[in-house]
Amino acid sequence: MILLSAIVAGLLVGMLVSWRTKTTWQPPAFKYGWLVVAGFLPQFLAFFLPATRSTFPDWLASVSLVGSQVILLVFCLLNRNLPGIFLINIGLGLNLIVILANGGFMPLPIETAAYLVPQEALAKIESGSRIATGSKDILLPTSEIILPWLSDRFFMPFSKFVYSFGDVMIAIGAFWLLVASALSAKPFKEENHA
Amino acid sequence: MKNSLSTFATKINPTHLKFIFMLVMLAMLVLGAGAPSDCGGIGR
Repeated sequence: MILLSAIVAGLLVGMLVSWRTKTTWQPPAFKYGWLVVAGFLPQFLAFFLPATRSTFPDWLASVSLVGSQVILLVFCLLNRNLPGIFLINIGLGLNLIVILANGGFMPLPIETAAYLVPQEALAKIESGSRIATGSKDILLPTSEIILPWLSDRFFMPFSKFVYSFGDVMIAIGAFWLLVASALSAKPFKEENHA
Repeated sequence: MKNSLSTFATKINPTHLKFIFMLVMLAMLVLGAGAPSDCGGIGR
């Protein structure tokens, strides 16, 4: 939610900047775009597509997550000259570190989950298990999490979404990528008015 | 209907298409890089 909201916010602000400065908004030119597709595909199958995610055993889902994030990290390194990618790179790196340190999934502290869901719902899940089919998170007490400050420990009031510090960096980076490309856009050409 | 579709088609230029591809790639990148979770779905 936080990630797609950042893209929508970046789009709206970018459109506003482009309209105010009367410029043509040029999309940022990604290099090696096929790496994003190759990187996202394993996660799409393991976590997003309902028809396939329930068939992925935990070990394969974990391998898909880590492998996918490594590919996306390579993509970000190859595109590090673009504005905002630096922040996405840091966020992705921090998420990858905490995921690797905790057995291949993002840890969710039980203490954080207890703020957001009833105790009886939490009681159904064993410590160290994934919180739902198709989730990237495992439930753990804070004392058992390695690098707990990088886990999914943040949430907003009136929302059940939890996110990590790395997610915040990724959201800011995506927002800045869109806004900065609008700020550096070229003025309208005469033929555009014809 | 046909007329409005053809008007719409003529308004799409390569920059618009590039922009849509860029947005799809950015969405895939951030969804793959991030790991937020919906606690509302716990146990499902």
